[in-house]
Amino acid sequence: MDNFIKQYPYWSLTIIVLVAAFLWLVLAPWPPELAASWGRKQIFLNALLGGITLGALYFLVAAGFTLIFGLMRIVNLAHGSLFLIGGYLGYEIATASGSWLLAFPVVFIVVGLIGLLMQRFIFSKMEGEELRQTLVSIGLSIVFADLMLWWWGGQSYSILAPQFLQGPMELPLVSNFNAATGAVTWLRYPSVRIWILIAAIVIGIAMWLVLNRTALGTLIRAGVDDREMLAASGVRIQLVFLTVFGFGAGLAGIAGIIGATFQSLSPGEDTRFLLASLVVVIVGGMGSIVGAALGALIIGVAEQMGFVYAPTYSVVFTFLIMAAVLAFRPQGLLGMRR
Amino acid sequence: MNAPVAPSRMNLPGSSHAASGNALELRGISKTFGALAAISDVTLSVKPGERRAVLGSNGAGKTTLFNCITGDFLPTAGLIRFFGEDVTVFPPYERIRRGLRRTYQISSLFSGLSVLDNVYLACRGVSRNRFSLIRPRADDALVNAAEMLVEAVHLTGEKDRLVGELAYGQQRQLEIALALSGAPRFVLFDEPAAGLSPTERRDLIHILTSLPSHIGYIIIEHDMDVALRVVESVTMMHNGRIFKEGRPEEIEDDPEVQELYLGGGHG
Amino acid sequence: MSVADHIPRLADRAEQRMWFERIPTRWWVVGLILLFLPVVANNFWLFQVMGWTFILGMIGLSLMFLAGYGGMVSLLQMSIAGMAGYMVAILGPSGVLNVSLGLSWWIVLPAAFLIAALFATIAGALAVRTEGIYTIMITLAIAAAFFYFTRQNYSVFNGYSGFNLVLPPQLFGVNWRDPVAFYYLTLASATLCYFAVVYIERSPFGLALQGVRDNPRRMAALGFHVTAHRVAAYALASIFASAGGILLVWQNAQIAPGTIGISSAIDILVVAVVGGMRRPLGPFIGAFIYVLLQVFSADILGFFGFSVDRFKLIIGIGFLAIVLFSPDGVLGLWDRWRAQLAARNAATTGDGA
Repeated sequence: MDNFIKQYPYWSLTIIVLVAAFLWLVLAPWPPELAASWGRKQIFLNALLGGITLGALYFLVAAGFTLIFGLMRIVNLAHGSLFLIGGYLGYEIATASGSWLLAFPVVFIVVGLIGLLMQRFIFSKMEGEELRQTLVSIGLSIVFADLMLWWWGGQSYSILAPQFLQGPMELPLVSNFNAATGAVTWLRYPSVRIWILIAAIVIGIAMWLVLNRTALGTLIRAGVDDREMLAASGVRIQLVFLTVFGFGAGLAGIAGIIGATFQSLSPGEDTRFLLASLVVVIVGGMGSIVGAALGALIIGVAEQMGFVYAPTYSVVFTFLIMAAVLAFRPQGLLGMRR
Repeated sequence: MNAPVAPSRMNLPGSSHAASGNALELRGISKTFGALAAISDVTLSVKPGERRAVLGSNGAGKTTLFNCITGDFLPTAGLIRFFGEDVTVFPPYERIRRGLRRTYQISSLFSGLSVLDNVYLACRGVSRNRFSLIRPRADDALVNAAEMLVEAVHLTGEKDRLVGELAYGQQRQLEIALALSGAPRFVLFDEPAAGLSPTERRDLIHILTSLPSHIGYIIIEHDMDVALRVVESVTMMHNGRIFKEGRPEEIEDDPEVQELYLGGGHG
Repeated sequence: MSVADHIPRLADRAEQRMWFERIPTRWWVVGLILLFLPVVANNFWLFQVMGWTFILGMIGLSLMFLAGYGGMVSLLQMSIAGMAGYMVAILGPSGVLNVSLGLSWWIVLPAAFLIAALFATIAGALAVRTEGIYTIMITLAIAAAFFYFTRQNYSVFNGYSGFNLVLPPQLFGVNWRDPVAFYYLTLASATLCYFAVVYIERSPFGLALQGVRDNPRRMAALGFHVTAHRVAAYALASIFASAGGILLVWQNAQIAPGTIGISSAIDILVVAVVGGMRRPLGPFIGAFIYVLLQVFSADILGFFGFSVDRFKLIIGIGFLAIVLFSPDGVLGLWDRWRAQLAARNAATTGDGA
C-alpha cells in the first residue's frame, strides 16, 4: 500500500478523491441542485444496490467458470446451461416441496453431479485439447438448451421468495433529508436481495479461505499456476479436477435458483449468464476468484447504472469496460500473465 | 537484404559494418522473475565476426541471456547495443531485421509447413512484402535463396516434406538453416549439438566453422568438444553472473573452471 | 505442394499439359453439376437450398481462413457479415425510409465492405491481445455486444425490427432476387471467395499466417510482426464474410438483430467444424449439410417421431458426434476413408510402397 502510494502519487491521489466523492454520494443527503440534474438520490442508490446484488449473482456463476478455466483450461461454454438447469430444477423443487431453502442443497448436488459426469466422461477424455473441449461444450449447450425448451417450454418461470425474506428492509443509508422538518428518510430495499448479497459474500470468503488455507486449496492454486508440476507431483489430479468441476457446476446451479428469485427464467437466460461470466472473467482475470468478484461487481454496477441513466447504451458500457481492459491489461485486472 | 545467398559455399552476403565498435554490447543486464534473479549485472561485448561460447551449468542464465538479447524478454535493467544501436526495448522482429538471428534449444519450427516453406518464411521475414498476397513465381529470388539454404544443410531430399514428420537431427539442421536466412550479421546458437549423433556433430562443426568470417556468433553448448572448437573466446556464467572470460585453452586449463564444470565428467 | 511447386522434377511432364488438364475429373463433374443445376432444379432448391448454402459457406470460409491458417477460432464472423448487411440496408434503399439513406449501389457496396473491414480490424485488434482459447471467449463477447447494441440502437440500426425490403439493385436489367439469377450470383461469389482463399494459402501472407499458427514466437524471431499479421488476417477474412452477409440480406430482403444473434454466430462455427476447418472446401460442405438438415428437418424429425421443433437438438447431437469422433469434420472422414481404400488397394494388388 505504502509502496503503491510512493510509486504512483498522482494515481493514488485520483483514487482517493474518487473514493471520497463516491462515499459522499452514497452517505450524504444530496443538495437540491444535484438532485435536479441527476435525479433523486433514491434512484442512484437503488441502481447502485441493484448493481451490487446483480454482481453477487454474476459472481456465483462466474466463480465456477473461472476456477474450471484456471485449473483445467476448459472454457466451458455450457456453464450457462448449468445455471438454467439449476434454476428450472429449483423451481420444480420449490413448488413441489414448498421450501425455497430445500432447493439449494438438492440443486447443488444434482447440478454438481451433471458437472462431474461431464468432466469424467467427456472432458477428461480429451485433456489438453482445449479447442476440442470448447467445441464439445458448445455442442452440449445446444443440446441442453433444446432439451430444456422441450421440457419446460418457452414461458418464463420465477420462484417466489419465502415469507421471511419478502418485503423491503430499511438500510442505514439516507434516502432523503427534509431540511425544513429535519426528518430523515432511510432507504428501503428488498430484503431477499440483501440476504443473497450477504450469502454470496460468505460463499466468496469461504472459497477464498478454502483456496488459501487448506491442503486442497494449495493443490488447486498450484495447479492453476503450473499444471505440469502438479501432474508430476503424483497427486491424484483427476480427483482434484472432478472436485472443482462439480463444485463450479453446483455453484452455477444454485445461482440459477437465485436468478429465478431475482428475475425470471426463460430460454435464452443460459446464453445471457454465460456471456456475463465471460465478460466478468475477461475483466477480472482468468482463474482468479478475487478477480471474478471484482469483475462481477464492476459489470453488475455498470449494467445497472447504464440501465438507469443511459438505457440505450447500457450494453455499450459493459463492452467498453471489457475493451479497455483487453487493450490495456489483456490478462484481466487481477489475472496473471501467461 | 533481398540478395540471393549461396550458403553451399557459405559466402553469405553481409552488410558492411563499421570498422570500429562492437557487434553486440551488453551493459549491466539483469533479469528477474518475481524474486528470482535469472541473470544479474551481465556486461559483455562481442566484436564483429567474433565467435564466442557461453558456458555454464543448467540454470546459469544462458538461455535467459539469449532471450534478453533477442527481445523475447525485456531485461529488468541494463542496456543492449547491436552494432552501435541501442536496441534494449526493441521488439524481437526489429532486432531480427537488423541482422540478429537465433536458434532454439528445443526445435522451434513450423510443423504444419514443408521444409522449403519453413526456410522460405525465414527469408521472407527479413525482406519486404511480408504481407503480399501474390504467390511467388518459380524463379523468385527468395525461393531460390531458400532452396540453396535447404541444400546447405543437406535437406534437399526432404524439402517438400512436412517438418512435423522429420527426424530429430534433420529438425536441428533445419533450425540452423532458418537462422542463416536473409543476411545475418550475428547469430545466437542455443545448444545446437544437443541430441545429435557423432556424425551429425561433425557436420555441425563443419557448418559453423565455414560460416563467412563477418558473421559473429555466440554459442551455448554443453559439449566442450564442439564448443571449444568453433570459438575464439569463452565466457563462463555461474548463477546468473559472469564468472570468467578468456580464450578456449585458458578456460580449459583454469583450475577453478575445471573444478566447477569440466571435472564432473561432462558428455 | 510447396513454394515452387512447378519447378524441377515434375515440371517437364506437367508443363506439357495445359493447366485445365491437370484438374482432377471429380472437380469437372462438380463444376458442371453446379453450372447446369438450374436446368433440373426447381426454384426452391436454387434459391433456398443452394443460395443459402453458398452464403453460409462464404461466412464459414472466413472463419476457416482465420482458424485453419491462423489458428484463431473467431465467433465474430457472423457479426462482420451482419455489419456489411446492415450497411447495405442503412446506406442503400430499404422499407425503413426514416433511417435508410437510399444511396446508389456503387457507393453502398464498397462502403459496406469497407466499414465491415474496419469493424473486423478493430474487433480483431482487441481479440489478438490474447491467444489461443481466449480468442473464442473474447470474440463471442464482442459478437454479443454488437447483437445487443443493434437491438437497442434505433437511430442507426433501427433496433428490434431492423430493416425490411432490402433488395439488390436491378443491375444490367436483371432481377437478382429471381431464383436462377440469385443462384448464379451466389455461385459466382462463392467460387471467387473459394479460389481467392486457395490462392492466398500459398502467398507470402498466407504462409506467414500458417507460420503464426504453428509457432508465433518463432515467427517474431524471424522478423515478422505477429500481431500485425493476425489483425490483417481479420481484415482480409472480413471480405468473404461481408460478401456472404450482403447476399444474405438480399436473399431474405431484410436484416434484424436476430440475424446476427449468438446462435447464428455459433451456427457458423458449427458449419465450419462439421465440414472441416483445415481446407477451404470444408465450410461449403458443412453449410450444405446444415441447410439440408434445416430445410428438411420436418421430414427427418417426423420420420423419427419427433416434433419439428427439435431441429436444434439434431444439430447439437450431430455437431457433438463430429467433434467427438472426427475433429477434422466430414472432410476428415472422407480423407480417412480414402486412405483406407488406398491401403486396401495396395494390399490386394500387392504394389504397396
